[in-house]
Amino acid sequence: MKSYDLVTLANRNLWRRKGRTFLTVLGMIIGTTAIVVMLSLGIGLVESQKEQMAQWGSLNIIRVDQAWSFPGEPEENRQRRLTDEAIEEIKLIEGVLAVSPAYEVGGEAMLGRKIGYISLIGIDPGMMELFEFNLAHGRLLNEGDKFNVVAGSMVINSFYDPNMAPGYWEEPPQSDPLELLDKRISFTLMNQRQQKRIYGLNVVGVLSDKSMEHAWSVFGPLSEVKKMRDFTMQGMGSTPGDPGFPPGKDIVVPDMPRGDARAREEEQYSFALVRTEDVSVTRAISQELRDRGFNAYSLADSLEGIEEQARQIQAVLGGIGAITLFVAAIGITNTMVMSIYERTREIAIMKVVGASFADVRALFLAESSMIGMLGGAFGIGLSYFLSYLLNKYVGAMMSPGMGPESAPLQISLIPPWLVLFALIFSMGIGLLSGLYPANRAIRLDPITAMRHL
Amino acid sequence: MPILELRNIVKKYRVGKEVVTALNGVNLSVEEGEFLAILGTSGCGKTTLLNVAAGLEKPTRGEVVFRGVVLNKLKESQKVLFRRKYMGFIFQFNNLIPILTAQENVALPLLFDGVPPRERLIRAIRELDRLGIKDRRLHKPLEMSGGQQQRVSIARAFVHNPHIIFADELTGNLDSKTTHDIMRYLQQTIRERKQTFIMVTHDRDVAAYADRIIYMIDGKIASGEEGGGEQYA
Repeated sequence: MKSYDLVTLANRNLWRRKGRTFLTVLGMIIGTTAIVVMLSLGIGLVESQKEQMAQWGSLNIIRVDQAWSFPGEPEENRQRRLTDEAIEEIKLIEGVLAVSPAYEVGGEAMLGRKIGYISLIGIDPGMMELFEFNLAHGRLLNEGDKFNVVAGSMVINSFYDPNMAPGYWEEPPQSDPLELLDKRISFTLMNQRQQKRIYGLNVVGVLSDKSMEHAWSVFGPLSEVKKMRDFTMQGMGSTPGDPGFPPGKDIVVPDMPRGDARAREEEQYSFALVRTEDVSVTRAISQELRDRGFNAYSLADSLEGIEEQARQIQAVLGGIGAITLFVAAIGITNTMVMSIYERTREIAIMKVVGASFADVRALFLAESSMIGMLGGAFGIGLSYFLSYLLNKYVGAMMSPGMGPESAPLQISLIPPWLVLFALIFSMGIGLLSGLYPANRAIRLDPITAMRHL
Repeated sequence: MPILELRNIVKKYRVGKEVVTALNGVNLSVEEGEFLAILGTSGCGKTTLLNVAAGLEKPTRGEVVFRGVVLNKLKESQKVLFRRKYMGFIFQFNNLIPILTAQENVALPLLFDGVPPRERLIRAIRELDRLGIKDRRLHKPLEMSGGQQQRVSIARAFVHNPHIIFADELTGNLDSKTTHDIMRYLQQTIRERKQTFIMVTHDRDVAAYADRIIYMIDGKIASGEEGGGEQYA
């Protein structure tokens, strides 16, 4: 028997009992839809969480903070200090693309009549692009820049008008980041001896609001910020704390030997950013850095928990879908068995006039897999429709609400592979459900069957 | 050499706890081009004999030899090939596929043999034309009379030019006029195409169309005689 004859014959057999075939296909449609929509919810969950995380920073970047040592802590518990040597060591770890050390200083700042407190981070200007500093306005830092800076998108909100009533500040107005561009910020640093130094910083660029991790900081050239930090360290003998700590507040730690503390602070960078090749290795490298004693953290670290959770949710949702599909599969088997009872005589006739076992089996398997495939195809259509409704109504209600232009949450996502999977899977289910009936049809003895009316 | 030879065929059935002997040592030799009628009352084992001879049922003992090949030793898949190439079948009634039209029913053996649609349709229509029901070729079985349905069955049995045709009570449900027409047609066609025809019937008048008649009683061949086939020729 030729395959086109097989398909034609199977198709006609299928539609001789339209109502029953329709109901069986309907079962398959519901089964396929259940499994596709359930899986799409799981996929949508992971994707939307990844997207949200990406807003908070890049998944390819690890932040290594300076060592914090506490008096009396045993040597082996102490974190590794962020020295030039350490930076070189990190660069050699496999999967690390680049390491950018940074200094951070904090101080009072004035923008026109507004005042605020900002944190200035010095990084290598050449590294900005690699570390995914996305610019919204202006430009990034160049090699020659000294007091030119790039501000994060939220920096503008650090400034407030001191003449306003204090209560007003509790609801900070969302100012346009563009306001900062080409403005001059006067930045005041104070060292431990209460000496003041004022710097004029020109804002040459504003970062986009996609990256929340850089949003509240101002970025300047590494060499200049290092000088500023050195200034703030002057006179600091007994404070092992943050070099950018608000001025005038001494934390006295009597146990700490003076000279040692100072040397240690001066040797260290404030933090370093490590750029990895790929999201997939970030978590491993982050762990490696912690194993080596660095104070490392990456957003990717928390990805594992999210993925694990999503896997569990997906398993539960997929399980519900699978049960529905299983019921549909039983429906197909039932329909095919019924069909054999009805067609006993026909099967016998076909065998007598030259149908082989393979032909009879092929015919029944073709019919059952057609039911499966039809159910799969229409099920995918229905899934897209349900997915659309879910995203439009339920997704919109669950929108994270980050600003008015934020898109509704994609709670259900049907990637192309899922469509392909559903089609092949439903056809496979159909085929599998047809196996038992097909074998029954084969075993039918034509002579006994011929007596059957 | 005979086209078909049955050697000491025994066939026993198990009916409940009892064993029924349907065929009890049948020997039969059918020559090429012969029109043979097996006559007997119901329950004498004639249908079983036909089924065993056609390879549709396995004998409990004995050999069925078709053109020198022992048919009952073959595997089912090999027997199917024999049926496709060399054998045609006509049954009593209701042996058409209801969802297929007359011409598609006739073309069915060719379909399983892998003949392309166009060719098998031409051959099916030619066969229906010979039987005078070409105009019914697009009708489904239920839209046709019993006589027409049986003509379609006959067309199907002949469409692939088999060497031997087996018929089981093919006129059982037909009126005498139609029976006569059909038997005449079979006589002619078999002679023209030099085919062998084995027919089972309980009707003496129908058996009379054959070249040779065999009587069966209680699973044995009682006697044989020359049929009256010539008188209608």
